[in-house]
Amino acid sequence: MINENNMNTTLSVTPTSSKSMHFFNKRYIFFAISLTIMLVGLINLKLFGVQLDIQFKGGAMLKYSFTGDVNAENAADIASDLLGRPVTTQITKDMKTGEQRLVLNIAGNYGVDAKEQVKFDDSLKAKFTDNNLTLAESSMVEPFFGHKFLTNGIIAIVLSFVLVMAYVWFRFKKIGGLSAGVMAIVALIHDVLVVFFTCVVFRIPIGDSFVAVALSIIGYSVNDTIVIYDRIRENHDLHPKLDYETLTDLSISQSITRSLNTNFAVFLSVSLVYIMATLNSLDSIQSFALPMAIGSISGCYSTICIAGPLWVMWQNRKLKKAGSR
Amino acid sequence: MKNKKPVFFIVLLVALIMTYTAIFGVQIGSFKIKGAPDIRFGIDIRGGVEAAFQAANLDRKPTGKELEAARSVIETRLDNKNILDRDVTIDKDNGYIIVRFPWKSDEKNFDPDNAIAELGETALLTFRDDDGNVLVEGSHVSNSSPELNKQTNKYVVSLSFDEKGTQLFANATQKLVGKNISIYMDKTLIQTAVVNEAIPSGKAEISGNFTYDSAKALSDKINSGALPFSLITKNHNTISPTLGSGSLNVMLDAGIIAFAIICALLMIYYRVPGCVACISLLIQTSGQILALSIPQMTLTLPGIAGVILSIGMGVDANVIVSERINEEIRSGKTVRSAIASGFKGAFSSVFDGNITVLIVGIILLKFGSGALLSFAYTLLTGIFFNFVAGVTASRLMIRSLSEYNALRKPSLYTCFSRRRTL
Repeated sequence: MINENNMNTTLSVTPTSSKSMHFFNKRYIFFAISLTIMLVGLINLKLFGVQLDIQFKGGAMLKYSFTGDVNAENAADIASDLLGRPVTTQITKDMKTGEQRLVLNIAGNYGVDAKEQVKFDDSLKAKFTDNNLTLAESSMVEPFFGHKFLTNGIIAIVLSFVLVMAYVWFRFKKIGGLSAGVMAIVALIHDVLVVFFTCVVFRIPIGDSFVAVALSIIGYSVNDTIVIYDRIRENHDLHPKLDYETLTDLSISQSITRSLNTNFAVFLSVSLVYIMATLNSLDSIQSFALPMAIGSISGCYSTICIAGPLWVMWQNRKLKKAGSR
Repeated sequence: MKNKKPVFFIVLLVALIMTYTAIFGVQIGSFKIKGAPDIRFGIDIRGGVEAAFQAANLDRKPTGKELEAARSVIETRLDNKNILDRDVTIDKDNGYIIVRFPWKSDEKNFDPDNAIAELGETALLTFRDDDGNVLVEGSHVSNSSPELNKQTNKYVVSLSFDEKGTQLFANATQKLVGKNISIYMDKTLIQTAVVNEAIPSGKAEISGNFTYDSAKALSDKINSGALPFSLITKNHNTISPTLGSGSLNVMLDAGIIAFAIICALLMIYYRVPGCVACISLLIQTSGQILALSIPQMTLTLPGIAGVILSIGMGVDANVIVSERINEEIRSGKTVRSAIASGFKGAFSSVFDGNITVLIVGIILLKFGSGALLSFAYTLLTGIFFNFVAGVTASRLMIRSLSEYNALRKPSLYTCFSRRRTL
């Protein structure tokens, strides 16, 4: 092993603050940007509300593809007559293939029995014989299942916050474990909110894929945060006398190319998925790729511009308190 | 080992073999390694049916035994429709039977809502003679279970009838000694047995070459005849096959293009470490595909999120290492010592990053249901391959390459980027 003797040489990095970027100084700009995004999200939430996917709230939805002309109101009437529930209909058109779809949303938060659906299917096809109606998608969810999925999803997200915080606290004791953990969580909440507001603004229903996207973004974002904490910890050992502000700015500057490159790679792949899904008008994939793309930017941003500076503020406050005593 | 030169080629060979296997699968004689063409996709990708059945008009929770019987009804009917790639599970706590099956690849005229409705209909179980005359109806069966016959030490299916059934069965067996009695579910023959003697007690035993599982399967079917309820489902989803295959192609194309672009960027930007990163990403990606295709785990849309996340983490591990090596070289180290300390410095953050993702994965395994389980699975295998490929394989390859004089120029290990952060 020739290399072994090099393993223990200390790193010869020296901080030259002129070359590191100043993130801490600009923190209020970053906070303002984030707060604005949150505010826009909240306003949208207030105005339009959040759309829970049928998967989470229970309900019934049918999608038929058809050719020619179908009177949506007629279809709705047939449906309400047969099922005894109010039905709203909507006709959508595929931009690329020109395929038309009839979407039937059946009121109420419970499903339709399969046998009734068959009856309904038959009478709808009997009414529109020339339109080649074919069932493209159906979704019937009982409130029991919706409720279970929703609670499990929320538990999963909250629990991962708690455990990630505990882990960061434990692993980064050297740089003030609790503060590091709490700030990592602040960044995570920021990202999950961004993903959530993306869904609100773009009217993407919250379902299974939201939970998957939120958890992926949690994974990315906490990984970003850890890479920077890791640098802070290392630089803290190398230059123990450095103040927190310089230490953090230095660490972020050292790892920013990595942050940007990695996130660019993720953003690129997810955007590609989104673009291709849009071209082929595949709602389910679009509604999953868009929040993920935006979340990946947020994950990178929240670490560098939110978690880092907040952590410095916390440490400085601690110093001040200790000094005034 | 002093000479590390060949290591790179060994790892490269492994990467190429894995990639080939992952893309095409390998078949040697009867031994087959399944690759990407055999991945089982969830119904959200491929299209298909998912339905949760519950007991209709029942004021109590169905027992475990009743649910098992009901499941056997559904399984038999699916067999009849030749739907073999399926997944029927019982949720005992809540009294649900959950059925999932994807479309067959050649399916064109399948009527999903009819199929779902038929699956839930009450099963009509009958005992018949060879001429098809109904002797006893299944509703008179009071119990059937698999048992071990102590004398022959073989599994048998025990069968007992209620009062009316005992009488009917006694009459029937009296007439049919030495002849066949057959058990039908709906119109499907599920078992034929020879009557050895008249059975007046209403307690019978079907013997044959049963294993425990086959005995249990038969007794579940027999019990279904006496099920006090039919099944309904108000919780069912269908996705048409055209919609499904569309999403599959889109994901595949996007994945290939993204992979190619990322590899090109890595090679241009990080040079030698970048090339190594591409090979290690090949190992990671094909490893993940094989981890799905060999045990036939279902891959759903959220599962693909997990794959994207893990590959992202894999890119990240390589980027962190490459950046580190670049930094070390710029601080004046030789290539070899820069590689050593680069990996050393990068390890802790790669490790911590992966452990937190591991935490998320385990939580999902516990609380995820349905499509989310696939997410948990791809995350966990992704972390495994991150350590195998991103950490170990990359390290072996770079070290081995740096043994070549031609590849010992520091400029080959520094970033394309002109901006020096330090």
